[in-house]
Amino acid sequence: MTALAATAAATLAVRGVTVRFGGVVAVDDVTFDARTGEVLGVMGPNGAGKTTLFNVISGVQRPTTGDVSLSGTALTGRSVEDVAARGVTRTFQTPVMFWGLTVRESIEVAVAAREFGGTYPPAPYRELVPSGLGSSGRRRAESALRERADAMLARAGIAAMADRPTESLAFGEERLLELARALAVAPTVLLLDEPLSGLNPDEVEAVVASIRAARADGVAVLLVEHAVGELLAVADRVVVLDHGRMIAEGAPQAVAADPVVIDAYIGDELE
Amino acid sequence: MFVYGRIGLVLLALVAALVWFLPSYYTGLLTQIGLYALVTIGLNLFMGYAGQVSLGQAAFFGIGAYTSAALAVKLGLTPWAGMVAGAILAAVAAYVLSFVALRLRENLLALATLALGIVINVVFNQWEFIGGSSGFKDIPGFALGSYTFDQRAYAILAWALLAVGLWFAGNVVRSGFGRALIAISAGELGAQALGVSAERLKRQTFVLSAVYAGVAGAVYASQASYIDPSGFDFLLSVNFVLMSVIGGIRSLSGAVIGAAVVVALRQLLQTTVPLVLPSARGDFQSFFFGIILIAMLIYLPRGITSRMSEARRA
Amino acid sequence: MIESIWQYILAGVVVGAIYALIAAGFVLIYQVTGLINFAQGEFAMIGAMTAASLATAGMPVFEAAAIAVAAAALTGALCYVLAIRPARAATGVTLIFITLGLDVALRGLGLFVWGTNPLSLDPFTGGSAITVFGGKLPPQAMWVLLTDVAVFGALYLFFRHTYAGTAVRAAVANPPIASTFGIPLRTFAFWSFVVAAAIGGLGGVVIAPITSATYDMGLTFGLAGFVAAVLGGLESLPGALLGGFVLGIVTKVAGGLFSTGWEEAVGFVILVLVLVLRPQGLLGRAVRRA
Repeated sequence: MTALAATAAATLAVRGVTVRFGGVVAVDDVTFDARTGEVLGVMGPNGAGKTTLFNVISGVQRPTTGDVSLSGTALTGRSVEDVAARGVTRTFQTPVMFWGLTVRESIEVAVAAREFGGTYPPAPYRELVPSGLGSSGRRRAESALRERADAMLARAGIAAMADRPTESLAFGEERLLELARALAVAPTVLLLDEPLSGLNPDEVEAVVASIRAARADGVAVLLVEHAVGELLAVADRVVVLDHGRMIAEGAPQAVAADPVVIDAYIGDELE
Repeated sequence: MFVYGRIGLVLLALVAALVWFLPSYYTGLLTQIGLYALVTIGLNLFMGYAGQVSLGQAAFFGIGAYTSAALAVKLGLTPWAGMVAGAILAAVAAYVLSFVALRLRENLLALATLALGIVINVVFNQWEFIGGSSGFKDIPGFALGSYTFDQRAYAILAWALLAVGLWFAGNVVRSGFGRALIAISAGELGAQALGVSAERLKRQTFVLSAVYAGVAGAVYASQASYIDPSGFDFLLSVNFVLMSVIGGIRSLSGAVIGAAVVVALRQLLQTTVPLVLPSARGDFQSFFFGIILIAMLIYLPRGITSRMSEARRA
Repeated sequence: MIESIWQYILAGVVVGAIYALIAAGFVLIYQVTGLINFAQGEFAMIGAMTAASLATAGMPVFEAAAIAVAAAALTGALCYVLAIRPARAATGVTLIFITLGLDVALRGLGLFVWGTNPLSLDPFTGGSAITVFGGKLPPQAMWVLLTDVAVFGALYLFFRHTYAGTAVRAAVANPPIASTFGIPLRTFAFWSFVVAAAIGGLGGVVIAPITSATYDMGLTFGLAGFVAAVLGGLESLPGALLGGFVLGIVTKVAGGLFSTGWEEAVGFVILVLVLVLRPQGLLGRAVRRA
């Protein structure tokens, strides 16, 4: 059974991250660590700044102040692909699909992205030109990539849909694919933005199992999820945001019982 | 054998057979189709696979033509080398321009490529070293030993290059690079989150498309033996887009079909319209081309080849 | 030297006024539909050619002008109904290509109808050149500037002070919400094409006595109008006015100091600089990267 390579111990350090949009403060001086082999739940009512925080960590959004680093390597200010190449991958609230590719091909893109170290593509003489010339070296390499993709599909439990075009996927299947894709790049840090929303109970089970497997492989998982029950069940630690500020941090049960946290959620939808 | 390689060879064989009994004028048309198809393949990689827009491809075609012509006329360099030089210069131009253009999206990218194409055309017009507005004449032709190419030889050269171009592009499209292109055109942020640099992919594809256009341009210069800036204007860029759209922008065989349809259509219009409307003057075909482009985009936006593949599946 | 530069500036002001009109048409369509209409310049061509051919056939100038503007407006309406509305489901790139097709088709139509020879139109009023601080302006220039004032003034009044204008602004700001209020987006799109075409046609008519009318003037003016619109800010009508004049003056001065052949290139270099350095244009609001 293929496992993700066990990740070396690493820490994602978020320090004093603040994001201001004009007069609105979306994220307010947030500081915490996320460690490999741990699931960190990120909770908070709607509009608390959770997705914005993810956007900062993944490089989609530049913070107004503060920084993010991974085991000492600064991530702030880098492009999204750069951050990803350094080991931080994410999924999105609405899954991003590669229409025009099949499920297997989507995973192949992910696996290929890590083939050369650094961001993809490498210099043209290493890939574009030999591929165009039909080099047997490239063909062998891509064969190997395909095998890894198939192994990934099997591990994620979606091998049955391998040849289906991504346009034909149901929403739940899209989520599973996006997660499998993210895991296929063997990340150090994995940001999951509401991966359970819109899923039926079987799919929820499958995703939670993948999250546990990723943790076992040593990935640092940051999980934003509105299904608070599920989040509390799988997380090792939890941070709670409200109006951009961190209002609590600690073990799931302790945080769930914290009156400050409960107060923040009153008036908001809690599943 | 790889399907695109096969298609290329079959077409080459077909053309080689046809040129033996076709009158020279039609052979010239075949050459034109072959060269335009070559440009369109590059354009399809950039527009159809990478999901971008270029309204300035004529500029790279022109750079290839002028480079080869200038080297041949001024330095006596053989057009065989001129072809390589033309491709290189077009590639360099695309590389430099990509830093300006490729950060833009859709509308603005279209405008930027349009603008850059026109600026390059103005350079052709103003630079006396390459003939300015009167262009270059007496451009030496291709030669193999003591045999200088005639129209037949150009047709075969054009379609041989096309066969190579089809094979190369076909390989690229079915490789990881091709999959990555589709990924960034469909879900750029999702691909970036995996470590894929959309900008670099687009840049490499843009440069590749310029290479295709540059090679075609160099051959064109020798075949036509006379070039001037008006042959590499915005309207030619529009024609390339038309070929792309008609054949299907995400289709390599579509590039060939599109080029053939546009060239054939132009011929048809040139011969038949004056019969129906004797007062038609000048380059009136553009009216019909415009209408056809619009109709295609409304009713058949994925081009002719999409209809064909639907028919095949049925 | 100063006199020549001043003369170039004056020439730039005149041609810039037309660029401003064409840019206004772009901005109008862009604001209401989000489309960049590559065919915008051809409306000017149709206005100019129609007026010139009618006047040459003997019609009085103002009548010819009125019919010419109507012809341009009609063309705009047809373009929307036949080419834009049927394609409303299309993706961004497709729509760009459709307007490209319109541009090519209209130019071809111009060729069909009028051939390649330039047509001339007499200036609306006679008289000798007007002197402005030592530089000369043809009397027609007054009509050009007057047209600008009238058109931009009318647009300003419409958008700021009429109910319909406010409705359009609402529709532009938030189309889904606007349509729940019953604001007819498609009708607005239609009228934006008609008005943009009429404005463009009018521009063509008033500039024809100075530059004469040819079937391919549409491309030159259209592209210049683009650049002016982007320079001023595609979201801004006052930007169109500013962009038009800035572009006109810079091109004419550069063309005068270097050579007229480079005029076109200057415009496009400006376009590229704007797109790279300040894509929202001089008067547009900064676009935030998500």
